[in-house]
Amino acid sequence: MAEHHPVSDSKHKSSLNSGASYSGNGRSSTAVAERGSNAGAGGGGLSGGLSQPAGWQSLLSFTILFLAWLAGFSSRLFAVIRFESIIHEFDPWFNYRSTHHLTTNGFYEFLNWFDERAWYPLGRIVGGTVYPGLMVTAGLIHYVLNLLHITVHIRDVCVFLAPVFSGLTSISTFLLTKELWNQGAGLLAACFIAIVPGYISRSVAGSFDNEGIAIFALQFTYYLWVKSVKTGSVFWTIGCCLSYFYMVSAWGGYVFIINLIPLHVFVLLLMQRFSRRVYIAYSTFYIIGLVLSMQIPFVGFQPIRTSEHMAAAGVFVLLQVYAFLQYLKDRLTRQEFQTLFFLGVSVAAGVVFLSVIYLTYTGCYAKIHIPIIASVSEHQPTTWVSFFFDLHILVCTFPAGLWFCIKNINDERVFVALYAISAVYFAGVMVRLMLTLTPVVCMLSAVAFSSVFEHYLGDDMKRQSPPAEDSSDEDDRKNAGNLYDKAGKVRKHVSEQEKAEEGLGPNIKSIVTMLMLMLLMMFAVHCTWVTSNAYSSPSVVLASYNHDGSRNILDDFREAYYWLRQNTDEHARVMSWWDYGYQIAGMANRTTLVDNNTWNNSHIALVGKAMSSNETAAYEIMRSLDVDYVLIIFGGVIGYSGDDINKFLWMVRIAEGEHPRDIRESDYFTPQGEFRVDKAGSPTLLNCLMYKMSYYRFGEMQLDFRTPPGFDRTRNAEIGNKDIKLKHLEEAFTSEHWLVRIYKVKKLENRDRVEHKLRSTDATKQKYTTKKVSWDFKHWTV
Amino acid sequence: CYIVLMYKVIFCTLLSEKVTQMMEWASKRSVIRMNGDKFRRFVKAPPRNYSMVIMFTALQPQRQCGVCRQADEEFQVLANSWRYSSAFTNKVFFASVDFDEGSDVFQMLNMNSAPTFLHFPSKGKPRRSDTYELQVRGFAAEQLARWVADRTDVQIRVIRPPNYAGPLLLGFLLAVIGGLAYLRRHNLEFLFNKNVWAFSALCFVLIMTSGQMWNHIRGPPYAHKNPSTGQVSYIHGSSQAQFVAETHIVLLFNAAVTMGMVLLCEAATSDMDIGKRKIMCVAGIGLVMLFFSWLLSIFRAKYHGYPYSFLMS
Repeated sequence: MAEHHPVSDSKHKSSLNSGASYSGNGRSSTAVAERGSNAGAGGGGLSGGLSQPAGWQSLLSFTILFLAWLAGFSSRLFAVIRFESIIHEFDPWFNYRSTHHLTTNGFYEFLNWFDERAWYPLGRIVGGTVYPGLMVTAGLIHYVLNLLHITVHIRDVCVFLAPVFSGLTSISTFLLTKELWNQGAGLLAACFIAIVPGYISRSVAGSFDNEGIAIFALQFTYYLWVKSVKTGSVFWTIGCCLSYFYMVSAWGGYVFIINLIPLHVFVLLLMQRFSRRVYIAYSTFYIIGLVLSMQIPFVGFQPIRTSEHMAAAGVFVLLQVYAFLQYLKDRLTRQEFQTLFFLGVSVAAGVVFLSVIYLTYTGCYAKIHIPIIASVSEHQPTTWVSFFFDLHILVCTFPAGLWFCIKNINDERVFVALYAISAVYFAGVMVRLMLTLTPVVCMLSAVAFSSVFEHYLGDDMKRQSPPAEDSSDEDDRKNAGNLYDKAGKVRKHVSEQEKAEEGLGPNIKSIVTMLMLMLLMMFAVHCTWVTSNAYSSPSVVLASYNHDGSRNILDDFREAYYWLRQNTDEHARVMSWWDYGYQIAGMANRTTLVDNNTWNNSHIALVGKAMSSNETAAYEIMRSLDVDYVLIIFGGVIGYSGDDINKFLWMVRIAEGEHPRDIRESDYFTPQGEFRVDKAGSPTLLNCLMYKMSYYRFGEMQLDFRTPPGFDRTRNAEIGNKDIKLKHLEEAFTSEHWLVRIYKVKKLENRDRVEHKLRSTDATKQKYTTKKVSWDFKHWTV
Repeated sequence: CYIVLMYKVIFCTLLSEKVTQMMEWASKRSVIRMNGDKFRRFVKAPPRNYSMVIMFTALQPQRQCGVCRQADEEFQVLANSWRYSSAFTNKVFFASVDFDEGSDVFQMLNMNSAPTFLHFPSKGKPRRSDTYELQVRGFAAEQLARWVADRTDVQIRVIRPPNYAGPLLLGFLLAVIGGLAYLRRHNLEFLFNKNVWAFSALCFVLIMTSGQMWNHIRGPPYAHKNPSTGQVSYIHGSSQAQFVAETHIVLLFNAAVTMGMVLLCEAATSDMDIGKRKIMCVAGIGLVMLFFSWLLSIFRAKYHGYPYSFLMS
């Protein structure tokens, strides 16, 4: 690692000097931004004592922010370059579909949209159950572009929305950090957030999801809040409310804001930092923010009903009481009585506040244990590895930034400390909330790094005579990021005046600077690697690599969805597990029973029950739900681990939650408590619908000469039930790598079959029949 | 005819006698303790219209059965939830047989492991599903309740006695803090000590970022000892899981890097002797580099396929 840095160094230098003509290779560009910002941090620290023309500074910040935007944008394009401009994963498909609906039918039609193609036969009122901010933003951009006769497809707007907004996020992070610390730290923070994996994970090109724009709204709201607390002006507060309104319209995470800001005010009160500015800011924010947030149909009256919002109301009342007491204090003389009264009020309010928080979080904790929530991998607690993976050096250094902030406390640093502490708690509880932690980690790390650079890049020069310093500094800025020149120069200066100053010495300083820069470089490299390897897979299209490095694209999902679109009736109903609901609706344009919205647990449980019962019982359920096709994902041929058999236990658990009489999880395990698909597996599993559909005719297939026929590569086992006969279903379509299998549900037969068996002449007996098993049970005694 | 009638009368009186006896016991303690005689009389002997859920256990200290104690606690929770619920009837009784009091029962049922939960239905012989699958389902009271509901049609809502220890401790702590504050009410300077606040904030942040919350929810072992070689490994091999020891190590490393950064800044800003400052500075950068690269190497060992390392691989 360390050896090749000097080489890449010179490359960066040249690329930076060439200015605008730099090419968009993700790795080098991020490093450039890093480098530029480091110099900026040093410069920002220096400029305080100088009579420097402000032009240089703003040009430099502007350039760095522009490069940060560009670096952030280009490092999010891996998926587009490797595959194509395509919407990723699951939820983005729904967002894309709604945006499409919005652009074709108009805004009011979108608000009134009743989607009869989802949750058959219930349907879904889409307009009232989504946060419309994302769709409206994309629709607006599309509208403006078309107005300017730049005709782009709405899909491209959707794909590139999140990368563009990441640039806005880094600018608002810059502004916020500048308010909190100084400009140098702001630039560093902007560069960090542009490339940090914790944020990239939710904002790569094609990941058209609420979080992509919500983090921008979050940071911008916080910036405006800090600004309004600092100035106490209604103008900034109104801006904060509007930004908050945008956040409410975009993401359910606005609850974080509406709890953090009151918490900030409450702590300010406790610290006796109450001032008119805080009073004006919070009173205005609460009232206007409340009214605005209630304009979103999905939020409605929640802000005055639910417990999450009560803290804000409590603090509002408390603030009024406090301000009233302050007013009285000037009029009355009985100081003792007043302070007692104040103490009583604040303690009571604190108790109310804490109990509300306690109730809220115990509620959250209980929710984790519901199977459908526990089944989503995003709702798991976070290991230290994922912290390190998503934040790298930042996770180790941001406590230092927190230390500096608390040591030099003021009103807005109280805010950032509270932000850090609450966000780190939530990120620890749920891996998904790493997203809200990432911005504050970037800011605080930037504070830490910037304080170090401030002292180690330019301190010695300060001790020189002003004119020389001026010129050297200007010289320094001309080739910003030119590390080698700088180090050499520092050495020269100090050799001139060795004895005079009591600085740390040039050697130590340059070593510290070098090592710190190396850390940042490693961070940039890590970010690019993580983005490229972990977060840039569309999951709609899979890729596999051969031994020689060439690539195979597995396009089974789209193949199957396209088949559905072309070959089935327009009103056909497709049953699948809820993960694929949005994709079926988006790509195949067919009616689904359940989808990723998961608002109706019992409906999902019904589908889970159908999947986990035997074929006859499942047929009854499917008949009652008017199912025409069943779609399943099967990874046994190519070794894809995210398939339905691996998710199967969750289907069983969710079904058991609603139908404990018919489905029992223990039936699907072997007596030893294992989940096996081979011969030793439990007979209930080997005869359930999901198993049959997954492995239908799989027993005839020999993938490899070393393995027997019917060898499942995902679970590394030879399947236990090779002779599968389907009675009520027939295979309709199987994709190239068997990844998607679609079955048609047969209509009822014209003539009913006779219930009892006629004389059997068939000698071959099926191995696993329920009859035999029940016989076993009957004869078993203690 | 007379004999049959006689028999029926005896049968009925016997049954009602047994039920009254059981109800009396159940009113005293929710889990009825049984020995061999009682077991034969009230469980094995025929006239019975109630279901029995029996835990076979070994609670005596000399048996050293830690699992039995935990299972017993859960069973008590379940039995109490049933005993004090409004739906309490004489349809189901909970009982336990200790190995040291009724080893003959264990022999009779050919049982050689404890704890075991068995259900004796009111009619017919026990079937396979009347044995609770302890290995598969665990012994949480909720799981037991589902099994009981499944076997007997009696729905029991498990009500755990609220754990007063946490709130009490918190109250005690608050009282101590309040008391201290009251005692020192003329000198509340320590409340404004930024170092204390900064230190506690840092502690909280470090605890969270090293994955202690994961430990709290998942309850992993402290470290893993390989049974064959006796080697103790403190680092879990997969990136999906972690040991408690590992998180402590990571916590220390993170703290060391943070301290290094703080030292670097202190060295540059403080007005101490230049020699001390130099030492501080070198120590700071050393801490940052050493512990960060160490952390990176641990991460690399856990996250297979990660290509980068620094100073140590």
